[in-house]
Amino acid sequence: MNDSKQFCTFFIDGLFFGVEVLKVQEVIRYQQMTAVPLASRTIEGLINLRGQIVTAIDLRRRLDLPPRGEEQLPMNVVVRSDDGAVSLLVDEIGDVVEIHDDVRERPPETLRGVARELVTGVYKLKERLLLILDTEKTVNLAA
Amino acid sequence: MSKTIITVDDAATMRKMISFTLKGAGHEVLEAADGVEALKTLQTRAVDMVITDVNMPNMDGLTLTRSLRALPQFARTPIVLLTTESAPEKKAEGKAAGATGWIVKPFQQDQLLAVVAKVLGP
Amino acid sequence: MPTNEELQKQLIQDLLVESNEGLDRFDREMLALEKGQATPDTPNIIFRVIHTIKGTAGCLGLSKIESVAHVGENLLSLLREGKVTVTPPLISTLLAYADALRAMLSSLRDEGNEGSEDYSALLKQLQDLQAASSATSTETIPAPQAAAPVAAPAALPQGWGLFDDEPAPATPAATPVLSEAVAPAPVIERAPVVAPVTAHAPTGTPATSHPPGEGGARATSAADTAIRVNVEQLDKLMNLVGELVLARNQIVQHSALIQDNSLIAASQRLNIITTELQESVMKTRMQPIGNVWAKFPRIVRDVAGELGKKVQLVMEGNETELDRTIIEAIKDPLTHIIRNAIDHGIETPEVRRGGGKPDEGLLILRAFHEGGQVNIEIMDDGRGINISRVKEKALQRALITADQSARMSDREAFNLIFLPGFSTAEKVTNLSGRGVGMDVVKTNIEKIGGSVDLLSEANAGTTIKIKIPLTLAIIPALIVTSGRERFAIPQVSLLELVRLEAEQARKGIEKLYGAPVYRLRGQLLPLVYLNKELELGGASSTGGAVDEAVNIVVLQADGRQFGMVVDEINDTEEIVVKPLGKQLKGLACFAGATIMGDGRVALILDVVGLAQHAQVIREVRDRSMTEKHKGDARASERQTLLLFDVGEGAQMAIPLSMVARLEEFPRSQIERSGAHEVVQYRGQILPLVRVSDYVRTVAETSASGTDLMQVVVYSEQGRSIGLVVGSINDIVEEAVTVKRDSAHDGILGSAVIQNRVTDLLDVAAVIRSADPSFYSSSRTPVGLAA
Repeated sequence: MNDSKQFCTFFIDGLFFGVEVLKVQEVIRYQQMTAVPLASRTIEGLINLRGQIVTAIDLRRRLDLPPRGEEQLPMNVVVRSDDGAVSLLVDEIGDVVEIHDDVRERPPETLRGVARELVTGVYKLKERLLLILDTEKTVNLAA
Repeated sequence: MSKTIITVDDAATMRKMISFTLKGAGHEVLEAADGVEALKTLQTRAVDMVITDVNMPNMDGLTLTRSLRALPQFARTPIVLLTTESAPEKKAEGKAAGATGWIVKPFQQDQLLAVVAKVLGP
Repeated sequence: MPTNEELQKQLIQDLLVESNEGLDRFDREMLALEKGQATPDTPNIIFRVIHTIKGTAGCLGLSKIESVAHVGENLLSLLREGKVTVTPPLISTLLAYADALRAMLSSLRDEGNEGSEDYSALLKQLQDLQAASSATSTETIPAPQAAAPVAAPAALPQGWGLFDDEPAPATPAATPVLSEAVAPAPVIERAPVVAPVTAHAPTGTPATSHPPGEGGARATSAADTAIRVNVEQLDKLMNLVGELVLARNQIVQHSALIQDNSLIAASQRLNIITTELQESVMKTRMQPIGNVWAKFPRIVRDVAGELGKKVQLVMEGNETELDRTIIEAIKDPLTHIIRNAIDHGIETPEVRRGGGKPDEGLLILRAFHEGGQVNIEIMDDGRGINISRVKEKALQRALITADQSARMSDREAFNLIFLPGFSTAEKVTNLSGRGVGMDVVKTNIEKIGGSVDLLSEANAGTTIKIKIPLTLAIIPALIVTSGRERFAIPQVSLLELVRLEAEQARKGIEKLYGAPVYRLRGQLLPLVYLNKELELGGASSTGGAVDEAVNIVVLQADGRQFGMVVDEINDTEEIVVKPLGKQLKGLACFAGATIMGDGRVALILDVVGLAQHAQVIREVRDRSMTEKHKGDARASERQTLLLFDVGEGAQMAIPLSMVARLEEFPRSQIERSGAHEVVQYRGQILPLVRVSDYVRTVAETSASGTDLMQVVVYSEQGRSIGLVVGSINDIVEEAVTVKRDSAHDGILGSAVIQNRVTDLLDVAAVIRSADPSFYSSSRTPVGLAA
């Protein structure tokens, strides 16, 4: 048995990210949100996911990337965390890809700041690099 | 004359069968799964006859019979026990509890109807 | 109505479901029996499963199942009567027996018949087990012959009968009842004790052949009518009801928009039913607080024993019910308070004797419902809290400054023990010095929307009062809008709503040191602008110039009132409280979130957190302290007082009810009109009186550094006068006992307020001496209401 994993992929500011498929509860289109005053700017708001209240984290802000254009509506990648479901706001959804572990590499040294903490691995795909996010760390804003 | 009869049995299949048979004879039928449920139903509904299983959870048929007999409005209501035991001492228990009659399980539909006819009149 | 054949099919389907369920249960109970985990009811349950299968199968003409069931039933009947010993072979045989029944049922389902399998070996085993037990018991040799299948029922000629057929075939039950009616008298005479029952039974008096009421009593006893439900199931039910409440809210909202009478009627009905359902489900989760208290006698006994103290525990209101989630949440805080009370409160018998108290200390736990909340009080008759020691400790630990310490009221000092890291224990005992302090108690209780209050009196004891909501899941809330966002405010914190039209608002809202206040029936209400506190930057004012109406929600937090200004006051709704994710846990202003009728999320405000954020309740002020002082209050009355300094170190007070406004004027605005200093004020001339000129004190100094002059405007009968003071300190509500010892003019007396000697200004006297004409039109004396 070869070690391979499936990742749900998405784009943020032209970068190609992935999270483990097993961590993803669902992917939904943009939802109306309720802003949370005084909260960290990383928190975009709260959404009603079939009666469950889910915090939406803007991954652009989380990853210190420039803000999304006004006209561009983000997508919700709802992930499971220790504390329940959390939505990660991304620009665009990619495919689910299955990747063998042997193309995995350590995050490049050039990765700066927060991204360095949150990206656990890099896969060299044919056309581009896939950056794998650690969901627990990503949703943990306190750290 | 259509009468109202309550059938008390923890086996849903049994209740259904009894209910079907009695409805076929033109009676209205209430159902209860045990003695407690029967007592609850009978707090609000009047019946002409009670047909109850003996061995049931929560409250068995003999206790139900005694409980009903203790209430003035059920002092005269016919109560027929469904029993698998035809031994004389078991019958004596039913009689002492205040039951009107008994039917041995298993029974045929016409046996059930015969008891009802006898108890309630034609 | 189905034909007989259809019915038969249906009934067999039912039988299959019912019997398979029964057999699963049979297996479980059997295993419990084997492991020695059986309940007294286990043999009955096992018996009944087979009994039911036998009876139903028989009626459906399934003779093979019936006869196999019958053999097992005989053995199980003995098991039920305790005449069979449970052995591994017995269990194995009975499990194999259940499998045999299953096999026949499967065949019936798949093939439409009971199958051709031969079970005689198994039945023989069952009979042997039965015979083995019969050998040891004197009774029972019931039914080996029943193993020969089918025939039994047919053998009976009729299969039914009436008990009264022999004596009286007619109306069966009626006759004996009638005879019963005339019988009792002679029977009682002859055999008063046991005879009636034995004499009647054989002759067939069904109605009363046993003591009446026996059956009835059993019928309604809790054991018979109560069932056990998994707590998770209840939680799930509660969640579902929560969802239903939301859906109901949506429907009710929409139906109001659509003018359809039948829809409106239906939604009204839905509304009522949902509310009822919600209440019922909530009730199922209620538990008496006694469940938590049950362990306290033991704790009190142990703790008291360890410390060599004697404590009598009194518990009142055991039956007071609370939601189980709350019961869980208060368990630890209550335990801690009780340990504390014994550890720090109640003295040793020697000390108590010395203080003229009985050896045995008293610890009272009291719970009761009040205004939709549960009150819990823990009272001890111990030494009380030593204020100076508490202050000392707080100073040592740098929790307060020396200045704060000196100004602190008793109640503020008591509340120091709730500060993190505070412990008054002189030696750290193993009981309460474990790092869990009263701060944790307070935090935990506030976390569930409760509040803690502490009253103490030296040598008389300490009382801790806890108020907690009945339930956490669904609460009534006021929905408001601010900065275009909706917020829910829990109704428990809500006192009243005030709407000021633009004109009223301009006049009514004043500034006290830059902080907006509104005078509500004579009391100054600090105002908090929600959009400002939450940095919403909405349309409405942040307290400056207003040309629109102002909506004030008057709230209470930690015993302190304040007004929250919002853009819009919407409606009161039942909301379902949902927790916020951990990313938002640090936000003290929000208690959770809820889903509104339109499906969008709204935040629930945490009133205490918000008040702290707005610094309205930086310190806990004295509001209910005087309840405790009822005894010594006698001549005094609670008043709201404005405290101000005239000169250095001299604090004075006047009743706030006499104050029309508080103003600041630049000194440059002072003009002279004859002998008087005046300022132009709202198109009128406001005469000024320098209080320092009229009372014996050092010269007015405090404000001299600034160009601004503090003026208390006093109005009566359409006339106003400005009292110039040094600085305005505070507004307090206090019971003041005036000591009439100051003989000079302008002072009514003095009192100790906030630990400072405070002179009560005789406003009337000061005004009269400054402007004798002020009262010429009215002789109304002005003074303290004492």
